[in-house]
Amino acid sequence: MTEETLPISAPVGAAKSSVWTRHRGALLFAGSIAIAFAAWQFLSTFVFNPFLIPPPLVVFETMVPMVKSGEIFRHVAISMARVGVGFVTGSVAAVVLGVLLGRIRVINELLDPVIELLRYLSPTAMIPIAVIWFGIGETSKYFLIFWGTFFIVLINTTAGVMRAPIIRQRAAECLGASELQIFLLVVIPSAAPYIVTGMRIAMASSFMSIIPAEILAADSGIGFLLQQSSVLLQTNRIFVALLTICVLGFVFDRLFRMAVDRMLSRYMSYIALT
Amino acid sequence: MLALRNVTKVFGADAQRYIALDGINLEVSEGELVCLLGPSGCGKSTLLNILAGFDAASDGSVHFQGAPVRGAGKDRVMFFQDAGAALLPWLSAEENVRFALRVRKVPKPEWPAIIDKYLAMVDLAEHRRKFPAQLSGGMRQRLQIARALAVEPKVLLMDEPFAALDALTRRRMHGFLLDIWRRTGTTIVFVTHDIAEAVTLADRICLMSVGPGSRITEVIDVGLARPRDLADPGAAQLFKRVEALLTSEK
Repeated sequence: MTEETLPISAPVGAAKSSVWTRHRGALLFAGSIAIAFAAWQFLSTFVFNPFLIPPPLVVFETMVPMVKSGEIFRHVAISMARVGVGFVTGSVAAVVLGVLLGRIRVINELLDPVIELLRYLSPTAMIPIAVIWFGIGETSKYFLIFWGTFFIVLINTTAGVMRAPIIRQRAAECLGASELQIFLLVVIPSAAPYIVTGMRIAMASSFMSIIPAEILAADSGIGFLLQQSSVLLQTNRIFVALLTICVLGFVFDRLFRMAVDRMLSRYMSYIALT
Repeated sequence: MLALRNVTKVFGADAQRYIALDGINLEVSEGELVCLLGPSGCGKSTLLNILAGFDAASDGSVHFQGAPVRGAGKDRVMFFQDAGAALLPWLSAEENVRFALRVRKVPKPEWPAIIDKYLAMVDLAEHRRKFPAQLSGGMRQRLQIARALAVEPKVLLMDEPFAALDALTRRRMHGFLLDIWRRTGTTIVFVTHDIAEAVTLADRICLMSVGPGSRITEVIDVGLARPRDLADPGAAQLFKRVEALLTSEK
């Protein structure tokens, strides 16, 4: 092979096969965050009142003792436990009911109108009654996260089960699959992408609804930290709490996606085919 | 083996009432390859769904080996045009065949040998670990054939199985199908709108008229030796005759 016939892309690729090409996404991400922090530092030092918008360096200064004393972790742990319990129980209940709703017509006709009305009650709208029912202890938070998760996952699961391709089911049926086998081995795996999508949306919503629940009705957790700092006019601590929420949401969504990729990728990757 | 008497299918009621099939009579004997040939909308697929047991006839009777057909039976395996939809996309080629053996309650120790045999028969042995999305259209159809044959059905019901394939692949699939048919002795009911396909494959061709109220208008015994070439005088003549019958009918 002469030099002229070499693929044109080869030298270009060779020149750039550096750290940059291999970690482009991560570097851009880090760059974007760094620029945002720099802009924030500049603006709150020279433009805005640093009491209202404390600069990032001050926020980090505030954060250090909170981290050292473990205070921030205590709040994070309790909030995450609430989200965890509510999210898991809500998802499980919703998947179980959702597959029944999607598969058994009578149940669907009976329950669908009720669900269609109830799902407009956001977890925040349910806080006052939850406090009366369950007090300001853990149960009321579990209930509120459960409530928010349940309807999102339920609707997605039902849709997924109802849309399991009829040809796929018939093909299994004439190979000899029983009703139950069609349901377990064909319909539910077909619904998996819908269920996972519902859970992902529900997880984001859980992160959002735990905060108002803790602001209004708790004596611990990140929301409580926000509320307490607000009453004491500690803007630094408010920003620590806000930053913590950002990082937590981001990390948990990545973890969720990684777990799905690891365990369910064969159910997720075929969507283009059907 | 399969006997249809006066099968009628009506959809809807009152003003929306639509008579799809109007008195279909057909006998298919064991080991026969019958083609149902007709234009789109003549109720071929409806008829096949009734044969499979997915759908019930409004009137008339369907008997399989002397017993009336009620619901889908595992002796009659339907073969779909859209293999991508019929296969389980989250299972690899061999796992799709294994799925059929599992739901058919074939004893587990026999699985590996059966899987090997049928994947080899359709030339997919090397691709056994691939998922349907990684296979070409023709390979997917072959996988569907392997999966259907693995449960050793008495009847294969094929609904325009190769209509979505390109002409070359389709010809190759015809060769495959005839070869497998000869080796297994399976009875095949093959639905198509392609005259050439019917002439190439069939023992008997049943022409269907356009709906509403489709019926079988003509049954032709082909009686040509295989493999058939459409350029041969016998086949060409048959092609012309079928074409004339289909066009005159309207």
